[in-house]
Amino acid sequence: MTAGYAWRAARVTPLGELYTPPRITAALLRLTVRIVLVASLWHGLYAHTGTTAGLGRGQAVTYAVLAVLASRLRELDQYAGRDTVQQHLHYGTIVYWYLRPLPPHRYYALRALGEQLYGLAWAVTGYAVCLAAGVVEPPESAAAGGVFALSLLLGQWVLHYLMLLIDQLCFWTLRNTSALLILMFAQNLLSGVYAPLWFFPHWFVTLSSFLPFQATLNVPLSLYVGRIPVTDAGFQLAVQAGWVAALALLTRFLWQRAGRRVISQGG
Amino acid sequence: MWRITRLNFRAQLEYRAEFLMNIAIGAIWQVSVVVFATVLLARFTGMGGWDSSDVLLIPATRMLAHGLFVLFLGRVHGLGRSIQEGRIEAYLLRPMPVYRQIQLQFFPTNAIGDLTVAVGLMAGALSRSHLQWTAGRTAYLVAAVLGGMLLEAALFTVVAAASLRFPAADYWGNWLEELLGTFGSYPLNVLPRAVGGFLTYGLPLAFVAYFPAAVLTGHGHDTGAPYWLAALSPALGVLAYLAARLLWRRSLAHYTGVGG
Repeated sequence: MTAGYAWRAARVTPLGELYTPPRITAALLRLTVRIVLVASLWHGLYAHTGTTAGLGRGQAVTYAVLAVLASRLRELDQYAGRDTVQQHLHYGTIVYWYLRPLPPHRYYALRALGEQLYGLAWAVTGYAVCLAAGVVEPPESAAAGGVFALSLLLGQWVLHYLMLLIDQLCFWTLRNTSALLILMFAQNLLSGVYAPLWFFPHWFVTLSSFLPFQATLNVPLSLYVGRIPVTDAGFQLAVQAGWVAALALLTRFLWQRAGRRVISQGG
Repeated sequence: MWRITRLNFRAQLEYRAEFLMNIAIGAIWQVSVVVFATVLLARFTGMGGWDSSDVLLIPATRMLAHGLFVLFLGRVHGLGRSIQEGRIEAYLLRPMPVYRQIQLQFFPTNAIGDLTVAVGLMAGALSRSHLQWTAGRTAYLVAAVLGGMLLEAALFTVVAAASLRFPAADYWGNWLEELLGTFGSYPLNVLPRAVGGFLTYGLPLAFVAYFPAAVLTGHGHDTGAPYWLAALSPALGVLAYLAARLLWRRSLAHYTGVGG
């Protein structure tokens, strides 16, 4: 595969966004309002409370705002571009993925990479603005910042495979909207998007530690705000890497099986 | 209408697993609100000066209003997709009003899950409530739920009217759903005044459940808005819905498809 193919596949989604300025304006407004509301909510909740669940006000606000920014990484609306696996299966156009010189699994990975890099540009810009405005606190130390960056990378990798699993499900189920929504709900709840996992009951935190979702967001954000000390980072990073390896094997196997199910009309 | 609804319901039963999962997703989505509210209530006692049993009345009212909206008027959400796919043109050719045809597109199975959880939460909120549930108060609560349903329908109808011209307006519908789900379930006085003002006058989210619950629980004077305005929330829902339907009618009259 040449770098040219990779570049062209990776830039599909970001280009789609850049050619529709109203969508970018809407995304900017939506992100700004979400950050203001979330920061206001947590400030308001902590108005009469000190540290709770091991999180102080600054840590809770930082965690919640970073969770909003991180959600930008995979928030692109592929549905509008009619390029989701579900749509391709519905319209029968998935067959073209198998006719190109680029294998489908590689095309999918490159598309996702481009999408996540585009989202990362949004998140980093938002983070810089929030940091300058004092909405979020900087990491406790350079080491905490370093392990956070590494953990975020692994977390996004895990998230990529989870999203891929959801998409791969389409090859086996004729209708899967509800399954997708249930999995997205699980992701939001068990990764700390709705509220930092530390606020949940102990049994809930223990349960989520056995699932891959917390590795996507809760671990990197907890490292950033210092709720997980840097000394424990090695174990957490190893768990994340373990999920990456396990999900990579599973999705690879599923790509092979999915390919056997693709037929073209009349073929 | 009843025959079409019955047929739509049978059509949903065609895929049994999908049908059951649709009910589950409605319930799960609502449970997420309950989980969020419970976690916050457990960690931060006396949210915005409200007793936890009083706070519960807000998500209960909102969820019940939302469940009824999904059941009766919810197909107006996500209309941009139908417009993009050109289905609206077919509706224009039929003798039935377009808005009604949209509502009869399919049976909203997820509403069963939504309403099951919402009724459960309302029962829980009422059983924990220290208020005397007189006939007047009960009638106001019923009016508030219906008003909340109409207000939510009005907001999504406005987005649908915009979708007739800009199908990408669906994006704003998703944003609206997210805001209603996240910030419609607890006392807005925990937020700074300017933010609370935005969610009252900019986006009338406070009128769905927060204001009616404040009036019922005796917090009506602490909302930052005039008491009479908060008390009129159910009536505002009706007015907003009628205004939104007028806007829809005007927008539809000016609708031109891709073919002109």
